[in-house]
Amino acid sequence: MASNTGLASLPHRTVSSIRAGAHSATTPGPPQTPARPISSTFGSPSGSSRVDDDPIVIELGSRKLRLGFAGDAAPKRIVAISPEQQRRTGDFRVWEPDFSSQWRSRASGKPWGADHELWQLDVRGQDLGVVEDKLERELRDALFKYLLVDSRPRKVTLVLPPTLPIPLLSSTLNTLFHRFQSPTISLLSSPVMAAFAAGTRSALVIDLGWHETTVTAVYEYHEVQSWRTVRAGKLLMEETYELLLQAVRGYATMERTEQTEDRLLDESLSFEECEEVATRMLWCKKAARQPHRKTSEEGLATVHEHEEEGEEIPPTEDHSPMAITLNSCKPPKTVEIPFSQLAEPCEAAFFETRLSLSSFDDHELPVHHLVYRALLQLPLDVRAICMSRIIFTGGCSHIFGLRSRIFDEVSIQVEDQGWDPVRGKGSEQCKTNLKLHRDSSRQATKNGSVPVVIQPDMTNGNGEATEPQVKAADAPQEVDHVENLIRKEQNYKPQVQGFLRAIDTLGPWCGGSLATQMKIPALATIDREIWLQQGVNGASRPSEVDIKMGQRQSMGPSGLMRGQAAQPNNWTLGVWGTMF
Amino acid sequence: MASFTPYTYIQCPCHDSTSQSRTADDAPPPTTTLPELSENDDDHAFDPRAHRSTFSLYPLEHLLYCDVCHQIRCPRCVTEELVTIYCPNCLFEVGTSSLKTEGNRLTSDYLHLNKSLTAANRTLTLDAHVAVSNARYVSAPWPSKLSKPPPDPTLLSADSATPIPPGPWVLTCSYCHWNSSEIGVKFDKPQGIFGQLQKLRYGEDQSKHVVSGDTSPTKTDSVPETNKARFAALKSFYGSQTVGANPGAGLSGLGDYGLNSPGALTRIMSIYSGNINGLKPKTKSSVMREADSPNEGFQLSDLDEGAAISQLRRDGWDGTVTGDQAKTQVEEGAQFADQLWPIPYLLRAKRSKRCPVCRHIISKPESKVSNTRWRIRLIANNSIPSISIKPLNPPPGSGLLKPLQPAHFLLTFKNPLFDDVKVTLATPATTPGRFASRVTVLCPEFQIDANPDNDMYLDDVLKDGEKERQRRRGDEGIHQAEAGKIWERGRNWVSIIVEVIPSSLRIEPPPAILVKDGDPEPDLSPLREDEDVLEIPMFVRLEWESEASHDQVGAATSREKDAKEKRELAYWCAIGIGRISQE
Repeated sequence: MASNTGLASLPHRTVSSIRAGAHSATTPGPPQTPARPISSTFGSPSGSSRVDDDPIVIELGSRKLRLGFAGDAAPKRIVAISPEQQRRTGDFRVWEPDFSSQWRSRASGKPWGADHELWQLDVRGQDLGVVEDKLERELRDALFKYLLVDSRPRKVTLVLPPTLPIPLLSSTLNTLFHRFQSPTISLLSSPVMAAFAAGTRSALVIDLGWHETTVTAVYEYHEVQSWRTVRAGKLLMEETYELLLQAVRGYATMERTEQTEDRLLDESLSFEECEEVATRMLWCKKAARQPHRKTSEEGLATVHEHEEEGEEIPPTEDHSPMAITLNSCKPPKTVEIPFSQLAEPCEAAFFETRLSLSSFDDHELPVHHLVYRALLQLPLDVRAICMSRIIFTGGCSHIFGLRSRIFDEVSIQVEDQGWDPVRGKGSEQCKTNLKLHRDSSRQATKNGSVPVVIQPDMTNGNGEATEPQVKAADAPQEVDHVENLIRKEQNYKPQVQGFLRAIDTLGPWCGGSLATQMKIPALATIDREIWLQQGVNGASRPSEVDIKMGQRQSMGPSGLMRGQAAQPNNWTLGVWGTMF
Repeated sequence: MASFTPYTYIQCPCHDSTSQSRTADDAPPPTTTLPELSENDDDHAFDPRAHRSTFSLYPLEHLLYCDVCHQIRCPRCVTEELVTIYCPNCLFEVGTSSLKTEGNRLTSDYLHLNKSLTAANRTLTLDAHVAVSNARYVSAPWPSKLSKPPPDPTLLSADSATPIPPGPWVLTCSYCHWNSSEIGVKFDKPQGIFGQLQKLRYGEDQSKHVVSGDTSPTKTDSVPETNKARFAALKSFYGSQTVGANPGAGLSGLGDYGLNSPGALTRIMSIYSGNINGLKPKTKSSVMREADSPNEGFQLSDLDEGAAISQLRRDGWDGTVTGDQAKTQVEEGAQFADQLWPIPYLLRAKRSKRCPVCRHIISKPESKVSNTRWRIRLIANNSIPSISIKPLNPPPGSGLLKPLQPAHFLLTFKNPLFDDVKVTLATPATTPGRFASRVTVLCPEFQIDANPDNDMYLDDVLKDGEKERQRRRGDEGIHQAEAGKIWERGRNWVSIIVEVIPSSLRIEPPPAILVKDGDPEPDLSPLREDEDVLEIPMFVRLEWESEASHDQVGAATSREKDAKEKRELAYWCAIGIGRISQE
């Protein structure tokens, strides 16, 4: 504490001395020489300042915030945004006995469940001031009540989802800089951190979140590309609502309740209760057929266990009723839903296998199609690495069976279709017709019939082209000296690649905590002074500075020094600044 | 519903009123209109119903007042400092250093185990209790348990009936008669419960993992199972990767914060000898490989959740963790009731508060935990007038306001200052929101007399006041709500009259004649929460003259001692008058 005084501004010096005095007054005992930080005499002056402030790592999500100190194994506080926090100070109506039964009046006039979200990704028509206020209150509560910190400025590391809208990022930074006086804020990407916390450098991170499911390919700590679909928690909640409503009514209705007002009827359920049911009771069916898994030595141990429970009724056939007590409908009711029915919301929200692929818009692709498509669009090398490092994160990944379902569906798709982006009847015929297939691939003599492959005049121009043309894929691979050198390193181990494999991560927050503690340079680091001067518009586009500065993303040992040497004149918002 | 207590909320002037709402269409943000708005922000009436104002409105009791800056300070605009950290249950004081190492919860290896036992017991009993009755008791305290004397973890062995001291110990709850032997939690000794619990929960590997590194911390034999152990394994793996990459360089110091001096020295040398030269030999960086074995923190995910699904099928609704329980757990991820664990108490802190502008302490508690007094506490109640509301003629019956019928309310301003205060009020003619009620303040400008602080002359003053009042009454004769006149005046208080005409709460589209083409779509959604409350935004401006504060180092020192300083304070407040009846 005392070692900080050298660095702190004048008012802070007095503050800490006052506090130190208060402490010494409370502890009884013989007078002692005040403890002197020994480290500062031997270490460098900058070193002592670094020790003192442990940065705070904040992972931002639409529903939850995770906060904690860098270096902790788990966040100290997980905040779920709730309407209770958004009441006025001194409004104690939460404690009234009939509070929970009056949810209808509270929920009216807003989109369903809007109080439980920090923000919407669609910022049109949104009041960002409210976002700032919400964020501030939650952060203040968490920091002061759970992290037990004082108001001293602290470094903050933000772990952000990929392509967060810039207005939201800007208001987040505003809040942290203005209200919490953080000197610097580092931005980290949540998929990269998920991969980092899994111990890998590359991964395909499937984040089953609230507003959307994102599939992000991370290669060597770079976000390669990110795909998204709306099939995520919110949709799942709506499906759960429909399921419960049917159970309450006792009959199935075809019409869906789109309007908020329709969800305030006597028989309808509150968002809170729907979520409760969704988190507690939902599960996910297995894929229609099991993929043939190659049992490599590192393969999943999952295959064996399927056979074991052969005697039991499979869960899909189990129609035994599960009693669920619902209190938010009028009158309160205990509904009995067959166990197999409880898998339906997942089915409808994430997979929708009844409809053909062509019926989906781009934003609502089923998750397994999206994952497959993502892998397909990746470059070959990246795909090989990423497909054996599939990581599931996000709140919905806790639903029993969902991860394995997605994984199996993707495996099946890979088995059926391979990695061929060309689809349709024509290509199918082309594959089945052996003659056609062989013609195009092997024989260069029939070039005339298939004019696409090789330009004849090119071969004529070269003197060496007299040799029979070999397709590039069939040519023997050249010896790569660099590769050999790398192999010779003692540290080297061949990379696992080429088959589908799911690995477990500690979560983006833990990755951020780890990375911050290891002092790994963040994607972007924003200084308070510069932000206050320039605001969000001062950020240079990453493309302008990216190569020259090299401050982004390099995580090797050399990157550490470069990150420190980077000039603050050109600052970016990292990958989040590319949109404007 | 029927009972409604009038209230006053004050908006702290620290709030940032710039509107940041974005347009609903794809058009770029209206850069032309936004600055306009912020420029004539003063013309902009405050809307207490806006979503943002819930975050900046505070009851008077929650506000502090900096008497150097003469400004209201709300919880949002003070800087806080820790005075004491303690356990709210057993009042054990915890040092800040142990807070860092042991976290924000009470990990008692000290001598107050019994209390931490109750602490641990509390939540567990909750979980058991909830499982039985499905009631929502999560935030309810269990006073019966907490008030117990120290030997309350009743020693009893589940198997052997003789309660001999060396027997196994369990946690019990006297409220619901649950004990921890139900979940197989027994302790060998009645000390170090937290540590024993950790051991029971995570097994031994956590401690072993740290200790039993044979040569380097990465080469541990034990496979880390818990997240904590995995985290530690990953950390040591990354540490070995980055350090092993170039061992001679100054970067080795970064792993342990640059504290060991040789590393720090080389780092300084490399910094001061110029970065380019320092970086040159380091460019040959070796491959940093990925973690690939479990003791490096790598783990394949177990995708087969058949066991969990069958447990879900078996245990049903009651076997799963409720949302409230999951929120209170220390670690996330518990999904079944048997995955719940006792929760150690969350520590609490006494805090002193400072004005962020002048660094003046405005609130400082006694540092002793058991002492609840304050050394310094400048509450706003002592510095700005309080406003109380009551109806002039209490309406008969339900007490609800009748729509479209004028009602009169008495606002009483009470001056806590020792100086006369001139008050100026302003309200918009109609309240903002969908249901615009008309508001008229009959006397928007008046003066409140000083708060007489001398109790010695209390009687005189009282008599004076009485006399004055009689005199006034004589002047005015019968009370009449009259524009420009105050209703009643006391020693340090003044009552004025506000006339409101509540609007009707009927939701119907406006008549077609009045609707113009450009008008936005009328909002016909049903009544929202609290929309039937008639809430008046009122701008209060205070003006008074007080003695110049001499302790200020600034310009005030040169002046004469009895120089009066003119002070001014202005703020918005929201006054909840009453509910409008829905007829």
